[in-house]
Amino acid sequence: MPGEAVIETRALSKIYRDFWGRQKVRALKALDLEVNRGEIFGLLGPNGSGKTTTIKLLLGLLFPTEGQALVFGKDATDVSKNEKIGYLPEESYLYKFLNAEETLDFYGRLFDIPAEVRKQRIDELIKLVKIERARKRQLREYSKGMTRRIGLAQALINDPDLILLDEPTSGLDPIGTREMKDMILELRDQGKTIVMCSHLLADVQDVCDRIAILHQGELKELGRVDSLLTVDDVTQIRARNLSDACQNELRDVIARHEGELLEMDNPTTTLEDLFLSIVRDSEARPGRRVVGASRNEPEAVSAGAAAGDGE
Amino acid sequence: MVLEKEILPFFQWLLRGEGATVAEGEGALVLFAVVLATVFVLSLVGGFLVSLIRHGPIRAGEIAYNTLTVGFSELARTSPRRIGALASVAAKDSVRRRVWVALILFGLILLSAGWFLQANNTQPARLFLSFVLTATSYLILLLSLLLSAFSLPGDFRTKTLYTIVTKPVRAGDIVLGRMLGFTLVGTALLVVMAVASWVFVNGSLSHTHKVDLETLEALRDPDGQSLGQQGLSSYDLFHKHDLTLDPDGGGVVEAAHGHTHPVVKGGDRYVIGPAEGFVRARVPKRGKLRFLDRKGVETARGISVGSEWGYRSYIQGSTQAAAIWTFDGVKASNLVDYEDGGGSYLPVELIVRVYRSYKGEIERGIQGSIQLRNPDTEVKTNLRTFYAKDATIDSFQFANEQTSTDQQPITILNDLISEDGRIEVIVQALDRNQYFGFAQADCYLRLPEGSALWNFVKGYLSIWMQMVIVIAVAVTASTFLKGPIAMLFTVAFLILGLNRDFFVKIATEQSFGGGPIESAVRMRLQMNQMSPFDPSPAVTVMQSLDDLLELMMLGLSYVLPDFSTLLGRVTFVAEGFSIPADALARDFVVCVAYVAGAAIIGYFCLRSREVAK
Repeated sequence: MPGEAVIETRALSKIYRDFWGRQKVRALKALDLEVNRGEIFGLLGPNGSGKTTTIKLLLGLLFPTEGQALVFGKDATDVSKNEKIGYLPEESYLYKFLNAEETLDFYGRLFDIPAEVRKQRIDELIKLVKIERARKRQLREYSKGMTRRIGLAQALINDPDLILLDEPTSGLDPIGTREMKDMILELRDQGKTIVMCSHLLADVQDVCDRIAILHQGELKELGRVDSLLTVDDVTQIRARNLSDACQNELRDVIARHEGELLEMDNPTTTLEDLFLSIVRDSEARPGRRVVGASRNEPEAVSAGAAAGDGE
Repeated sequence: MVLEKEILPFFQWLLRGEGATVAEGEGALVLFAVVLATVFVLSLVGGFLVSLIRHGPIRAGEIAYNTLTVGFSELARTSPRRIGALASVAAKDSVRRRVWVALILFGLILLSAGWFLQANNTQPARLFLSFVLTATSYLILLLSLLLSAFSLPGDFRTKTLYTIVTKPVRAGDIVLGRMLGFTLVGTALLVVMAVASWVFVNGSLSHTHKVDLETLEALRDPDGQSLGQQGLSSYDLFHKHDLTLDPDGGGVVEAAHGHTHPVVKGGDRYVIGPAEGFVRARVPKRGKLRFLDRKGVETARGISVGSEWGYRSYIQGSTQAAAIWTFDGVKASNLVDYEDGGGSYLPVELIVRVYRSYKGEIERGIQGSIQLRNPDTEVKTNLRTFYAKDATIDSFQFANEQTSTDQQPITILNDLISEDGRIEVIVQALDRNQYFGFAQADCYLRLPEGSALWNFVKGYLSIWMQMVIVIAVAVTASTFLKGPIAMLFTVAFLILGLNRDFFVKIATEQSFGGGPIESAVRMRLQMNQMSPFDPSPAVTVMQSLDDLLELMMLGLSYVLPDFSTLLGRVTFVAEGFSIPADALARDFVVCVAYVAGAAIIGYFCLRSREVAK
């Protein structure tokens, strides 16, 4: 049911104190937040802004100093809410002496999942996060990217309704990052609610429906990504196969309407797109050097114009 | 063997203890309930006060209420599957931490013991058994302490706990899972150690002898008929045996160094078989001891022969002083048939501590007498004399047919056992100015012997129970303390538990030298324990502080496990006595009570702790 709040915080505050009860850091100040069912919610902010504290408060790993955090309508310290939650911590805090199968089986047992269901889910998840070839290897031998993958798999072992991801793409290579983002979108499409925190802005921009920006423990901005990022007084035109004459004509039109032309040139692709296309090409045709794949892309011109009044 | 505290029947211990009724509150169950309730109330009040300071009265009340209601409903929701999963990970973690190195260490201990321990004393089995049992106890306690105190703090440090507590895992699952996991690992190690110990003890003591032909002398009856031969065995494992060989092939090897051997005739040769009876499980039927003083007047204790351990008291030789044991519930079934079928006998065993006021003939024991008496009719058997050697077990077989002191034929069953099944054993010392020392446990009627192997297993079970208590305490301590501190906490618990009696003595002001602060001051000032302080305000303050500390110590003593009793159970095995079922049942209940208490405390500690702090 859209609009139904899965997470709700009311004036949520956290003060870290030392042994003697003296205030050390005010990590979170009266945070009011609502996350609705089926959306991808991003918590953004520089290091030390309170993102991870918020996630830990939502999970009951920390107790609020003031205010309240509700998850599925229950207090965040209520253990029973964890039945429907999956959590991928910032670093994958897993037992390194277990292999992938044992790890997933262990966490499955913590959910009281019967053995047969557990076995089936383990197979599915290992396939999903693509670590089939390393399923019998101890986690101590895993690369950082593989550790993230098994971390995600353990977060999904209970087929959760709410998934909390702390820096989900950190330590992943571009392909891994892309796959992680695709997986997040796929999970959203399955109707799951996702809360992620990250300081990799591009990742957040790519997948999040709504974001909250925190700074020094305070909520600075909250809203839909598309509306937050829309620059109202700038118009962007993208066109293919324009002749120089046509481009000049466009410049004239803009000038005639007293608009300010900001930019008219050939766009560059992102490094991510370039990298991905090279890797995919290389996988499709192994042994061949792939250079300038992007040069084959049809030429495009983009123009950013600051429209005048009335535009 | 020494038995300082009487072992009460299990249900008496559980329900009423030394008291006459349950209402007197000395039963273990009542004490447990009182302790649990006290700890509960103190924790609740303490928790409330801390919250009050931090959050104010309304929030503090809310927290206390939530802790109670949610806490208990969650406690009921612990799941066996989750506990099993956490236990198996704890066990795997232990294996990863190379817990099996303990087995190599134990192997080395046994190897060096095999090199240094020698069977050159009169009770070699006692030496070997007490060695392996003590070595196992200390090794397994140390190991379980290290495993369990550092595990949970390790998970806090590596943050692996984050991924666990964000699953529907209750704090109780984590605490119980750890306890179970380490118990399983400890049990596996203990089983290996037990098997190795059994093999080691039996292997070390295993030997046989040959017949020393040069010592053999023919035995003949007055008619000149051959009755066989008597002589000595060869000298092996630091001893030899007297032996008698029958003409028809059999023979008897007299007991020496706590064992004997069978003799069989193989063809024209006599063959002495392997050692028998080294490891035993005597089952004693114990009685009540009272004394007569040198004038024959009844007293509760004998005399003291100096500044000695107060466990035993002494009777003087060649006076009317006597030690009298009264045994209840003696039945015809307590009599044992002679092997050759010639009637039955009452087996009585006696351990005498001999105190010589002059040296005398040192090779010869001190002469004493023993007789049986009917407590109602006062009919007594004739004196039976024996030579007592210090601290050895003398066995007496009183045939059913006896002669009374007035030379009438009597039987034990008809004349010496009273109608309500009582019989008395009277022991006196006969040599002038020599003394016999006795405690209640020093004389008993022998019941049919138990299985030595099962008794050995029971010894290991009591070690197992100590291990479980240590694990429970250490895991609980690690829910709120860092690893090294949790270990120190548990070690302190263990040491205080081992010296619980002394601790209680200080707390109840029965020991000399005052309380802890007063003792420290006396040491600093090099004062003796007895001389009083000059009254001054400082002394008053010191003694008031001591009173407060003693009150706290007394409170603490109620939760200290009596490790010295538990550790003492292995003495039964070493001395060749069966561990009474009452004692084992009692230890087991105590162990379960500690696990339950520790788990509940650990649950609340872990639950009220911020995992990510």
